[in-house]
Amino acid sequence: MKRPPVMMIGFGLLALAIVALPFAATNYLLRLTTIGFMYVALASSWNIVGGFTGYPSFGTADFFGIGAYASGILRSSGAFPLPLSWLLGAAAATVFSLMVGPAILRLRGHYFAVASLVLAAVLREITNAATGLTGGGMGLNLPTTGTISVDAQARLYYASMLAAALIAVGVATLIWRSRWGWAMRCVEQNEDAATVLGVNTLATKIVAFAASAGTAGLVGAIYATWIGYIDPTDAFDDLLSVKPIVMAFIGGVGTIFGPVAGAIVFLVLEEFVWRNVLNFHAGILGIIIVALLIFMPGGLRNVARGIERFFTAGRTGHIDKVVPPAVPS
Amino acid sequence: MSLRNLRPVVSAVPGASHLRIAVLAAVSVLMAPGSMTCGYTAELPIRIGAPLPLTGALSPEGVKLQQGYELWKDTVNATGGIAVGTVKRPIEIVYYDYQSATPKAVQLAEKLATDDKVDFMFSPFGSGASKAASTVSERYGIPTLAPTASSSEVYDQGYKNLFGTFTSNDTLSEPMADIVKAKAPNAKRVAILARNDLYPLALGQEFEKSSKKRGLEVVYFEKYAINTLDHASALTEIKAAKPDWIIATGYINDMILIRKQMADLGIKAQIVTMINAPAYQEFIDATGPLADNVTSATWWHPAVRYESKDAFGSSAKYTEMFQKKFNALPDFTNATGSSVGVVLQMAIEQAGSVDRDKVRETLAKGGFDTFFGPLSFNSVGQAVSYVPPVFQIQKGKPVVIYPDVIKGGELQLGVR
Amino acid sequence: MLYLQILINGILLGGLYACIAVGFSLVWGVLNVINILHGSFIVLGAYLAFFAYTGLGVHPYLFAPIAALPLFILGYAVQLVVINKVIEAPVLVTMTATFGLTLLLDNLMLVAFQANFRKVSLSPPLGIIDLSDTFPALDLIVPVDRLASMLFALLFVGLLYLLLRRTAVGRAIVAVRMDRYAATLMGVNTEKVFAVTFALGAALAGAAGALLSPIFPISPLAGTAYLGKAFVICVLGGLGSVSGALVGGLVLGILESFGALFFGPEHSLTLSFTVLILFLLVRPNGIMGKRGFV
Repeated sequence: MKRPPVMMIGFGLLALAIVALPFAATNYLLRLTTIGFMYVALASSWNIVGGFTGYPSFGTADFFGIGAYASGILRSSGAFPLPLSWLLGAAAATVFSLMVGPAILRLRGHYFAVASLVLAAVLREITNAATGLTGGGMGLNLPTTGTISVDAQARLYYASMLAAALIAVGVATLIWRSRWGWAMRCVEQNEDAATVLGVNTLATKIVAFAASAGTAGLVGAIYATWIGYIDPTDAFDDLLSVKPIVMAFIGGVGTIFGPVAGAIVFLVLEEFVWRNVLNFHAGILGIIIVALLIFMPGGLRNVARGIERFFTAGRTGHIDKVVPPAVPS
Repeated sequence: MSLRNLRPVVSAVPGASHLRIAVLAAVSVLMAPGSMTCGYTAELPIRIGAPLPLTGALSPEGVKLQQGYELWKDTVNATGGIAVGTVKRPIEIVYYDYQSATPKAVQLAEKLATDDKVDFMFSPFGSGASKAASTVSERYGIPTLAPTASSSEVYDQGYKNLFGTFTSNDTLSEPMADIVKAKAPNAKRVAILARNDLYPLALGQEFEKSSKKRGLEVVYFEKYAINTLDHASALTEIKAAKPDWIIATGYINDMILIRKQMADLGIKAQIVTMINAPAYQEFIDATGPLADNVTSATWWHPAVRYESKDAFGSSAKYTEMFQKKFNALPDFTNATGSSVGVVLQMAIEQAGSVDRDKVRETLAKGGFDTFFGPLSFNSVGQAVSYVPPVFQIQKGKPVVIYPDVIKGGELQLGVR
Repeated sequence: MLYLQILINGILLGGLYACIAVGFSLVWGVLNVINILHGSFIVLGAYLAFFAYTGLGVHPYLFAPIAALPLFILGYAVQLVVINKVIEAPVLVTMTATFGLTLLLDNLMLVAFQANFRKVSLSPPLGIIDLSDTFPALDLIVPVDRLASMLFALLFVGLLYLLLRRTAVGRAIVAVRMDRYAATLMGVNTEKVFAVTFALGAALAGAAGALLSPIFPISPLAGTAYLGKAFVICVLGGLGSVSGALVGGLVLGILESFGALFFGPEHSLTLSFTVLILFLLVRPNGIMGKRGFV
């Protein structure tokens, strides 16, 4: 796939910036970018279920929280090195999705949304009750990240979150280009027609769910070790489910890079708003969400489409799907 | 329903988004914050970081702490500031709102340490958050005062930089249990209902220990979920167990609800202890006549009579100044907010410098005479030097019943 | 005897729950919108009742219908300005939109009213009915304020039922709930119906809040707890129907009360949410099923 040279240079500069940042930037900027990578990963993760497959999942918090607690508990036992506990955290979230998925993925629309949202509440309560294992409402304090210096730690987590983001986007890309991705797009367009076509819709949805779970769980696992403390209300916070959705909306639901762009824009907005307004930031976030959904339901993709057309004018391989009118479902 | 209508264009060249990302990334880098400016032209201020829950579930407590901090700061700055050697340096408190989310508190503590480069820190609210944030303080070697960390678990990480002005939870349960044993000799059965949260549960466990130590029978001990809207079942069980002494722990809304539902179910007991809500005027207002004869214990109360060598001079003067500024009586959360300021100030003045190591050493030595009480810390940094007063609401007003030196009345038995 | 008391507790609680949920259920069933704002509307109604009582001395039970009015207007406005624009969009959009609105409303209430918990303490207090006074064998207690709130709640639910059954507006709402496209074909102005339904849902939330103000402490943070209950009740009882909300509320109240007894109070929330998920999987149309139209 040929890309215009401007694009390659831009991409190269960006990659350079990302690599150089930990050595040049303030701690604040480093932390901010690490959060940025976290957002990118979560938004991409959600996008697989919500964007590709079209299932309105409010379940990002479920997977994040499980990954966080799994990694937290493993680390607290003292026997697991960081990377292993991260991977096991992601695995735990994936296993959870495989257990729960076949059941709730049979639900459609509203019911699926409610089920995924309520799962977070159930997990929160279960975690609270299992005091022996999880510390319950007292939260879990994780052991510190060994004896490396503070700066090195910051760089470590920067790199890990970057890796998580790359993995999430990578998984999304791989899925998008594979037969699973095609199947998901079929399900998103019209699930019943997809079944008629011979697509195993349940298997497709489960794959999407599991991919989303694994990536979100990985982020949660890294997050827990980064902050050093988790408790049920924060690990399974509803906002963790809503924010990635908003990010995907900003950038364009169902694309590969939409969630990435959306996550960055969201982060910038959040930093700008939060730093200046001490006690009304939730309200402002609410206003932004509503304004976004009313005025820009397609997100920035309209902007993106313009830029794309600019660069790809005259090229082939540009698929424009005709959107049929909404059919009552 | 699918997102058909919002489906984006599927393009074989998603490359345009790369450019978008690059631009956005560049913009975000450029939007990095500018440098901090100092507000005082005279002497450099002493900067203290204070992450607080100004919004979210803990915001009432966050606001109370802030009031305590502000009263201290204004009082001291009116005299020019803290005396460091021969100069007086004003106080600057850097606030951040962590929205009642503990991980955010930790992140903000880190920010205060590395970006704002504060000299000292005050812990966020509550045992859980204090413990979590103390890791940051230890990592950067910043002496940190914890105004609201009572559970001993907070101090069990072997850190050197954490100093808390609350004595441990058992100092709330032990005196109360003594009083019950002395004044209500035929009270044998104890029921405990605790919120499933770090501090309320730890406190409930302390009461269980204190009761058992004195040969009382704990006939009921359950935890309720955070955000429970209805306690009727638990209370019905408690009623069936016929306790003489009922203890309930949790936050204000829980206590208000439980007290009301106790009356709804006709539960009577000789002694009812609730912690910490009765210390707040809101509880008395919300429960009205039901508040009568409810006992509680708290780390500080306007009725205590301490003379002090700090910026306030005495607890009575503190109460007066608080009332003048905020038009209300100070409660223990306000007071502990001011107490951490006062202790830090005294440590700096005694050490004669703001060098962190020197201040830390001075803090560890203890022996501070404050309006909050005499403050000295044990080897893990928790205050061990005073006795939290036990009080009872009598006719709508809190009356201290222990310790004897500041007693205002006797324990009244029987709660309807 | 213990069980009987728990049953009574559950029924009283159930009546309150039904009142909390009926507005939410209506909006979900008719507009197909999951209105996350519902919890905050309830809290707003409770605040209005609180200030009316402490400031003007108006009894919350009398104030409930009055509280419904400003909330009706607010609901109508919200519907017109926001919900209408996204009503054709998938549930994801509408749910996220109402989530955003809740963030806004909660924050506004937090700034306006502060987060300290208020409560209406009726004076003189309504007291309790001790059944053992009249029937010495029955050692049961019924708190009068809960009983009264429940009765008033049932009254409102009953009024809603009559509205839906007997008035033209009501029948239009039911028609839209049954099949919105067919209703359009029958000449029903669906846009107007949506607006009225949403406003009605908000009004019911406000009234519920007023009825709850002597019972639960009030704070901007209490909204999510009510919302959680409403979710469960709607799925338990069936969407969009009054009888569904009633049945769902009662079932949940009784379930929670006995659940707390058998599993411990710390598990009551887990229990209700687990039941919700089970119902979603096994019988998503709720106990009343699709038949429970009104």
